[in-house]
Amino acid sequence: MKVLEIKKVRRYFGGIKAVENFSLDVAEGAIVGLIGPNGAGKSTLFNCVAGVFPPTSGEIVFLGERTAGLKPWDLCRRGLARTFQIVKPFAARSVLYNVMVGAFAGTARRSEAERRALEVLQRLRMEHLSHARAGNLTIADRKRLEIARALATRPKLLLLDEVMAGLRPTEVDEMVAIIKGLRDSGMTIFVIEHIMRAIMALSDRIAVLQFGSKIAEGTPQEIARDERVIKAYLGEDYGAA
Amino acid sequence: MLFIIEDTINGILMGSIYGLAALGLTVIFGVLKVINFAHGSLLMVGMYVAYWAVLLTGMHPYLSLVVVVPVMFVFGYLLQDILIKPIFKSEKEVREPITVIIVTTGVWYILDNLALLIFGPQYRNIQDNPLRGKMLEIGDMMVSVPKLWGFFTALATALVIYLFLRKTRMGRAVRATSLDRDAASLQGINQYRIYNIAFGMGTAVAGVAGVTLVPFYNVFPTVGVLFDIKCFIIVVLGGLGSIGGALLGGMIIGVIESVGPQFMTATWTEAIVYALFLAFLFLKPSGLFGVKYDW
Amino acid sequence: MTPSLARGLPLVVLALVAFGLPLAVTSATYLHILILLFLYAYLTTSWNLVGGFAGVLPLGHAAFVGIGAYTSTILSLQYGVSPWIGMFVGGLLSSLVGVIIGLPTFKMRGAYFALATIAFAEGIRVMFENIDYLGPLQINGPRGLQIPPLKTGLVHFMFADKEPYYYIILVMLAAVLALTWAISRSKLGYYLVAGGEEPEAAQSLGINVAHAKLAAMAMSSFLTALAGTFWAQFTLYIHPKSVMSLDISFEIAFIALIGGRGSIAGPVLGALLLRPVSDFSRIYFGDTLPGLHLIIFGVVLILVMLYQPRGLQEPLTRLYRRAMGRLIGDRGAPG
Ligand SMILES: Nc1ncnc2c1ncn2[C@@H]1O[C@H](COP(=O)(O)OP(=O)(O)OP(=O)(O)O)[C@@H](O)[C@H]1O
Ligand SMILES: [Mg+2]
Repeated sequence: MKVLEIKKVRRYFGGIKAVENFSLDVAEGAIVGLIGPNGAGKSTLFNCVAGVFPPTSGEIVFLGERTAGLKPWDLCRRGLARTFQIVKPFAARSVLYNVMVGAFAGTARRSEAERRALEVLQRLRMEHLSHARAGNLTIADRKRLEIARALATRPKLLLLDEVMAGLRPTEVDEMVAIIKGLRDSGMTIFVIEHIMRAIMALSDRIAVLQFGSKIAEGTPQEIARDERVIKAYLGEDYGAA
Repeated sequence: MLFIIEDTINGILMGSIYGLAALGLTVIFGVLKVINFAHGSLLMVGMYVAYWAVLLTGMHPYLSLVVVVPVMFVFGYLLQDILIKPIFKSEKEVREPITVIIVTTGVWYILDNLALLIFGPQYRNIQDNPLRGKMLEIGDMMVSVPKLWGFFTALATALVIYLFLRKTRMGRAVRATSLDRDAASLQGINQYRIYNIAFGMGTAVAGVAGVTLVPFYNVFPTVGVLFDIKCFIIVVLGGLGSIGGALLGGMIIGVIESVGPQFMTATWTEAIVYALFLAFLFLKPSGLFGVKYDW
Repeated sequence: MTPSLARGLPLVVLALVAFGLPLAVTSATYLHILILLFLYAYLTTSWNLVGGFAGVLPLGHAAFVGIGAYTSTILSLQYGVSPWIGMFVGGLLSSLVGVIIGLPTFKMRGAYFALATIAFAEGIRVMFENIDYLGPLQINGPRGLQIPPLKTGLVHFMFADKEPYYYIILVMLAAVLALTWAISRSKLGYYLVAGGEEPEAAQSLGINVAHAKLAAMAMSSFLTALAGTFWAQFTLYIHPKSVMSLDISFEIAFIALIGGRGSIAGPVLGALLLRPVSDFSRIYFGDTLPGLHLIIFGVVLILVMLYQPRGLQEPLTRLYRRAMGRLIGDRGAPG
């Protein structure tokens, strides 16, 4: 079953063609990667999927329902959660508070929200930070908090926008393991990432974006061998390696 | 019919002075992206400076510009540098810090009540000045001379600001900062110095408006409040940050205030002005000429 | 002592002191000052639901005070309805107006919202000053309405001396504080804070930020109007410049900002600090140094914004905790 279908989506900002005629299916239980150089339109595509702004043209179908007219909170309630590339914690509040905000999406009871939030924090191995002020976290922990908050809404599809940027190699490995664990528990994941090692290890399929257009799609092995991708993005070194 | 034309003309003249006052507010907003709630109080300070300058030396009211403009510029420059800059520095990510509204409101309260303490509540005006009570007769119509002076001063001030922003190096730096403060900083422009200058300019313009009022208007500690709220309304009508919009918005208010009483109780015109303001806020928050902001 | 007891005890002590105060304070002047202090603490706590938790800056709450005061007064003067009933009618009406203001304005940010609320409140005041009759309802323009002190007693919300007023406003304050506490721990409270701090993130977490703010606005304007009725019954004379003046709106905001907006203790603390300043400077310096208290307000406001932008509640809570920690041993310190 397809969790997400993106059909011929365009998104223009004035004269800038941020996303041009992009189509992609995301199957249930898959981890799909989205890569491409800076400014290729990856985050813009996520914003369209998450309902931040509508596509200029084209159609997005989430769990069999067309998302036109649905706002971010509508989509969240239907099972879509996302992280922000530039993290947006509720800085003055504790980590637990942040995650509880997400957990309230599925319950009105405080005790239940707290239980769900703690569960997520445990899963991401950050329960020791529960009472830390979100604004005081390290960048790695902020990225994790971003995921924790999204997870607390108990999504079916999770959009991750560069959650590994700025992490140390060991932290990257840890994050890869966490994301795989999420998939194993039945979640579908659509992930933007610049760190090749991570995206190759994670993804079942990868789509490559350049200047808003999809220039390739396939398994990690196919992408690593694709001439155009190597030219446009990976660089000659990667293909040789 | 004639009296309506007469009222319209006088309304436009008075309105241009409102617009002049609002011009200062709009210059500050254009660059700093904050509303200066102390603006009316700064106008009040300008009026007192002009009042005393004229009273003590007996100079022509408009000659007091020589004193008022530099004094007010420095005052505004320091105000921004000492009180507002720290907020911008501590709230770097915030695009339009609410805290600035609050601090400038504090300044408003301090200035108004200091004026009350120092000068007392009485209304002051300069009885013997060459402009007071002068009327220009055009056919059967009477046009207020001091307001006419105010009108031309408003146009001249707007022109000077326009030329400054377009033609001078400093003006271009100010505009660059107003468009994108981060990009401007990258080009080596000192963002905070530009803020100081913009705030100084806005304050000086409030002072100019004060000078145009002194020949025919009463000076008293809370005179600024009247103009404060008018200026808010005008800048929203005209479009926050727009020079022409400020003048036009001012004239619209002036005409409503002077023509309105022909058709209704004078106090109702005030209600109409508020209604117009709210209508704009709700229907076209960018105002007549405003840049469209992603509110 | 267990931590929860250590946390609860000061509250109990505070409540006992507040309830016992009229026994000690017999001077009518001081009681009057206390009543106004609690009234402002109540108003500011109500304001805090939007101005604090929802992270916007409403500067027109006087309009709701006025709507509450006028509604109950007109109903009781013209139709003989008990002010207690009128109070809730006023609350509902005010709530409706609050939602109407909120609908378009919550989409705006920062300065525009502040300006819109000022304009709305001033517009309503100017309207009241200009109409004598609104349909069958007598408004009486700038002259306002006098409430003849004919029937006293609880049912009529009118008393010969000040103690009953003191207890009524105290109970109202306690109730609104309890409500705020409950909301701050509820889903709505979390949603308001989230929407105020990072609207985009909040929306992605399933929050319709505008709806949450509207809910807060409806409650806030309802509660504020109740205080309007209290005001009318306490002073027995209302006119647009008294119950709808911009000064009220600003004073409420000042108290909240200096005390600490978005916290439960902040508004009460702010009122405790500022109201005496304004009352005593008016009593002692009213003739010689008019406006002195407003200068003090302005200076304090600026200093607080520059050095404690989250209000005085924060450093004072820290001090208090340290003192409590020392007093009852570190284990019992409320954390
Ligand atoms: N809100 C917006 N308004 C105008 N232009 C935008 C907006 N958002 C994105 N763009 C433009 O769209 C293009 C694509 O940006 P986008 O953020 O989607 O790239 P990206 O692939 O996520 O890049 P990165 O790897 O740097 O995150 C860029 O040229 C960007 O400037
Ligand atoms: Mg991106």
